[in-house]
Amino acid sequence: MRNRVVITGAGIVSALGDSSSSLHLSLCSGRRAVRPVELFNTAGLGCPLGGEIPAFDATKYLGRRNLRPLDRTSRLVSSAAQLALADSGWSQEMRNQEEVGLVLGTMFCSVHTISEFDRRAVEVGPSYASPMDFSNTVINAAAGQTAIVHNLRGINSTISTGTTSGLQAIAHATDVIRNGRARAVLAGGADELCFESFYAFDRAGLLCRSDERAGDFPIPFDKRRNGFALGEGAALLMLEDAKFARARGARALAEISGHGFGYDCSHGEDEEAAVEAIGLAIRHALNDAFLGPHEIDCLSASANGSHAGDRHEAKGVFAGLNGQTRKLPVTAIKSMLGETLGAAGPTQAIALLETMRDGVLPGIKNLEQVEDDFEFEMIGPDNREIDLEKALINSVGFDGHCCSLVVAKCE
Amino acid sequence: MKQRRIVVTGIGVVTPIGTGRERFWTNLLEGQSGIGMVQSFDTTSYSVHRGAEVHDFEVENYVSNLDAAHLGRASQFAIAAARLALADANVEIASLDLERAGVSMGTTSGEPREVERFDDLFVSKKLERVGPEFLALYPSHVIAAHIARELRFAGVNIMIPTACAAGNYAIAHAFDVLRAGRADLMLAGGSDSFSRITYTGFAQLGAIAPELCQPFDRYRKGMIPGEGAGVIVLEPMTSAVRRGARIYAEITGYGLSCDAHHMTAAHPNGQGAVRAMEQALEQSSIGPEDVSYISAHGTGTLTNDRLETLAVKRLFRDAAYRIPISSIKSMLGHTMGAASAIEAAVCALACFHDRIPPTINSKEPDPECDLDYVPNCARDHPVRVAMNNAYAFGGNNASLVLRKFESLN
Repeated sequence: MRNRVVITGAGIVSALGDSSSSLHLSLCSGRRAVRPVELFNTAGLGCPLGGEIPAFDATKYLGRRNLRPLDRTSRLVSSAAQLALADSGWSQEMRNQEEVGLVLGTMFCSVHTISEFDRRAVEVGPSYASPMDFSNTVINAAAGQTAIVHNLRGINSTISTGTTSGLQAIAHATDVIRNGRARAVLAGGADELCFESFYAFDRAGLLCRSDERAGDFPIPFDKRRNGFALGEGAALLMLEDAKFARARGARALAEISGHGFGYDCSHGEDEEAAVEAIGLAIRHALNDAFLGPHEIDCLSASANGSHAGDRHEAKGVFAGLNGQTRKLPVTAIKSMLGETLGAAGPTQAIALLETMRDGVLPGIKNLEQVEDDFEFEMIGPDNREIDLEKALINSVGFDGHCCSLVVAKCE
Repeated sequence: MKQRRIVVTGIGVVTPIGTGRERFWTNLLEGQSGIGMVQSFDTTSYSVHRGAEVHDFEVENYVSNLDAAHLGRASQFAIAAARLALADANVEIASLDLERAGVSMGTTSGEPREVERFDDLFVSKKLERVGPEFLALYPSHVIAAHIARELRFAGVNIMIPTACAAGNYAIAHAFDVLRAGRADLMLAGGSDSFSRITYTGFAQLGAIAPELCQPFDRYRKGMIPGEGAGVIVLEPMTSAVRRGARIYAEITGYGLSCDAHHMTAAHPNGQGAVRAMEQALEQSSIGPEDVSYISAHGTGTLTNDRLETLAVKRLFRDAAYRIPISSIKSMLGHTMGAASAIEAAVCALACFHDRIPPTINSKEPDPECDLDYVPNCARDHPVRVAMNNAYAFGGNNASLVLRKFESLN
């Protein structure tokens, strides 16, 4: 028998709010985080737009403690962790008694710190490189720093599977609790908006075009889509063994019922293989949750406005749900937040917790012309009233990784 | 329900003392050193100049489906180690259900040379020369992705970049995936390439030894950065036995913990390390007194070796004095994310051959490090249970327990 895993709290720092309710309100009122980037200079780049968190200040969440050793990624994660711990009622005292774990998904973690550290060594000499920055150049830096800030002594893992990192981290933490290795684990993901990763995506030609209509992009699933906008954020769920949570009197917001994985060895080059991998992840997740395709009430799609990616996902969902997609309400919140990489999947999950509560599923901003052969009908720019019991969340990466998660209302 | 038993059936390594299991193991037992002057980049402006680089590596021998020229060095190492491990396990790729063949890898830095190239071009104001290859080659997940693409493995694919303990994390994950029945075969391990960033950082911490890596020695002067990859083939015992595979050892359990104390220094009382070892033994249903060999993290820095010794004594008490402990980093340097994967392979080989590799460069015992570190010479020693310890930046502790394989029951 595996242990059941429940969500007892959420913490989010995003460009559209720093609580699940403010995020949900923003999404449902069609607010867009995507605007000209101010964090760094985008002159000479193809796309000047990003989903930046305006005036992010970690002291708002972490108080007056010494934040100097934490770079932007670590501050985002530590802040989201603070919010998730508070939301789930894990006091400092309880954390001293019981080991809480952290599984963090991230694609780039601190690439900005890494690059600055190295550039300083190259420009002025290795003896000028900062030893404090060096400790942030490892890819598990944010997870380590957050563990120190919040005294998280349990399992501490970092997962990197591109844009699926965050959802994969939730799946990983779910397994850790299911097989009894931990009782409480913070799980989710984060990536910061920075010049280095922005440049990488820009040069790869994946970001949405900047033209006179730039304000309208990205538009997931739309015929006019021309790429995605890069965003940032940190999103963590407090996952607990259901019995343990009940015994400590914690409220369960929802249950993680299943997760599934698929891998496309062609890395998106072969459409058939890409579609199959997405479908496989969905089927695995449904099987793991003991559910059939008809029992899913809505889909939070990974779609971000990428030409091929959105197409593969539309086809993959159709395959994974055995063609039962016509009456499936679909949302794609990257239309407003941009592609937040490691934070993406967990942010989708947190947004759905609110839909579970108030029955409103945000529409897909600016979507007007869905591709003719995408077999979705319940899709569009308008919010939808739904009775959400069981939701499917997708994350599809650039290098073949596909991850699906089923989240259900607690009985 | 009885748990599936998981065994190691193949070993592939790319190391500063040799590529491929046989050559590596021979050199390791002979106490060969892979440490020399750094050739990857100019160290003139550094106060230290030695490293453990891989010199005999020819990528063309291992990469056939991908374009080797368009792979980062850590991915090249990883693919080579994966191919070597599969060959060592006598596994034909054509015989696998590829949707149930997976990859779980660890790393410290991913593909640091790609960001170093970015930085060089940034500094010399030629950033326009950075093209789409930066995204294709740099993010750490590409190491696992490249292995899968080269081998057409379509199962679980994950990168666990938990710094210098990453190999153990990746193996632990593969172990769980197989136990849960989500794969038939897993390639698990770690890979890192020699990196200017890593070298600069450790130099700035004053952690790099000028000449030798001398773990646990009284006059040890630090670690030596290295590079390499280690990949092992893991599969359920029943299928390994069915196909008549050579079984090096069984993996019985692991423990993971976090100090939550300091990014680069271990907790002064070693409590996180103790918890990881305890968990690993508990999951294995093995008592501390039954451990026959410990592969130490043993970096050669003053604090690591002292605190690691303390942690072992806290858990093993009197038994600590009769369990041989060795650090192969004395020969390989610190191969970062690959280190604990290569060390896990060494534990499996120790179980299989009943031989223990030495800690070379042991000259003067340290009163604070007073255990049996297998100084300078390999030893014949019955190894029933081996423990592989690894510690990392971020306060991560990971212990893995392997056991000599004893038939079905």
